[in-house]
Amino acid sequence: MNDAPVIVHADDLFAGYLPGIDILNGCSMEVRQGELIGIIGPNGAGKSTFLKSLFGLVPIRKGTVKLGTEDITNMRADELVKRGIGFVPQNNNVFPSLTVMENMEMGTYQNPKSFKAAWERIGDLFPKLVDRKNQRAGSLSGGERQMVAMGRALMMDPQVLLLDEPSAGLSPDRQDETFVRTREINKTGVTVIMVEQNARRCLQICHRGYVLDQGTTAYTASGQELLKDPKVIELYLGTLGA
Amino acid sequence: MAQSNLGGDPLTNRVDRRVIHRALVVLVVAAAAFFLLTAMGSPALADTAIASSHASAAAGDASATATQTISIHAEAADATTAPGDNRVIQQLVNGLVFGLLLALASVGLSLIYGTTGLSNFAHGEQVSLGALLCFFFTTQQPVSLPLIPVEFTIGWPLVPSAIAAVAVAAGTGWLQDRFLWSPLRRRRVSIVQQMIVSIGLSLALVNFIQWWFGAERQRLTTSIDTRLDLGMFSIGQSTLWSLLISLLCLGGVAFFLMRTRTGRATRAVSDNPSLASASGIRVDKVVRLVWVLATGLAAVGGILLALYDNAAAFDVGARLLLLMFAAVTLGGLGHPFGALVGSLVIGVAVEMSTLWVGTDLKYAVALGILILVLLVRPQGILGRAERVG
Repeated sequence: MNDAPVIVHADDLFAGYLPGIDILNGCSMEVRQGELIGIIGPNGAGKSTFLKSLFGLVPIRKGTVKLGTEDITNMRADELVKRGIGFVPQNNNVFPSLTVMENMEMGTYQNPKSFKAAWERIGDLFPKLVDRKNQRAGSLSGGERQMVAMGRALMMDPQVLLLDEPSAGLSPDRQDETFVRTREINKTGVTVIMVEQNARRCLQICHRGYVLDQGTTAYTASGQELLKDPKVIELYLGTLGA
Repeated sequence: MAQSNLGGDPLTNRVDRRVIHRALVVLVVAAAAFFLLTAMGSPALADTAIASSHASAAAGDASATATQTISIHAEAADATTAPGDNRVIQQLVNGLVFGLLLALASVGLSLIYGTTGLSNFAHGEQVSLGALLCFFFTTQQPVSLPLIPVEFTIGWPLVPSAIAAVAVAAGTGWLQDRFLWSPLRRRRVSIVQQMIVSIGLSLALVNFIQWWFGAERQRLTTSIDTRLDLGMFSIGQSTLWSLLISLLCLGGVAFFLMRTRTGRATRAVSDNPSLASASGIRVDKVVRLVWVLATGLAAVGGILLALYDNAAAFDVGARLLLLMFAAVTLGGLGHPFGALVGSLVIGVAVEMSTLWVGTDLKYAVALGILILVLLVRPQGILGRAERVG
């Protein structure tokens, strides 16, 4: 894995929603092709902001983001989609008035000819979506919506998938299913960068983890190392279930 | 551009049948109530003269001419016919006609609200502009452009004039979004502030249109409409054409929204613009298309309403604005077919209410129905409560 080329490189990012107020104060990250990266940290550390800034949804004031060798800092989201980056937001991640199939169709909006093949691929990964293809996404349960959201992002066959707290609001068994799916997606060759509140579970499946604190990247190591790191345990993981 | 590669399963059931049934039930119940009231006999129903005089007083209103015609028709009804029977059918037909024309004018309002969240108070002026631009191209009188002191005569036939008017009106939609609304969105100006801007724009436009075309009512055509007697009701030949055009336009909008990729993307933007952007949809392009479509449809609505009403004035859109908002809200804010259903209910309510109350109160009845429906169904007739979690 370490020999794989660097696919995403964020260097010293300063970013925030409001002018003059930075949430990120120098975040850096290097992701190699095929890696599953987990970003953990306390509430307000800037995890989601970091992910959104990579996807051009939060303006970056300083620093650069590169996809391979191309500078994609502050690039429009639809341009990033064209370059093979998929994003699954934490909330409001489906089009509620559209059916499941129409949601999937929006995933291939830039390349409609690929719909049929992509739909078959996603149907294999999430068979439940095939059963519910004509159901409005707004009437689905939280877990099913999460499947639709991930399926939509995967329809465009991205090389990098950004997941913002995919297990948030799900029951424990649905959370497990989400982590298993995420690992399956990663095994197909998709590089995954995932922000998670469920830090322990996230670190168990990811190759490497980044720990964010007050808008900076405090630690980085392999998932297993971070799970055993006393400082990480004390600050973020706690001792329960260790 | 129709999408045909949806895994072999055609998109046949996108219009939720339940909402259609719901809309039909509302219409049938309303119609049944009117018929019941008629059968029981209403003092106002017999008072044709009063209704007639009210209609004369409200001659400037969008549908007053139609009401007047109906009153005359009722007066001329054969003595052997049960009193009021024909009037009920006639008012129902007129209500449906007015509702369809109102739907055409207001569907753009709903589309803009759906995709941008903006309640565009300047939409009424787009209706007026469409009608008066058509007058500009078709009149045999000398006309001039604003600030250019050169008079000339265009005098095109009605149909090419209407097409040119719709094209110019749609162009104003493109210009508005390009130079006003898009920069405001980019600068993250709040929706309330944008709404205030639209109120300012509405006032500016209504004054501009009055300055350009004058305050008097302008006739788009001087020919007298032939009325076709269809037994229980009569209808003008040009009204029939208007009906056909409005049905075609509304059908076209429905086809665009449900069956084309760009239409489905429009609904996606309406649902969640940031997610649409994250799916690779150029949200700004979709919104600009919606502005062009909305202003174009408002112009078509304005022209057809001017033909229905025999004339157009600078403030016809402003007079209709409240009814358009009522229709869009009643149908379900932002719902693609809400404007259609809401407009039909409002149209029928407005026209049929004159059977029991004075024409001065007809709009009040429509707005009363709006309040009643929203008390029972806050999301409107077609609006749906979303599942949380």
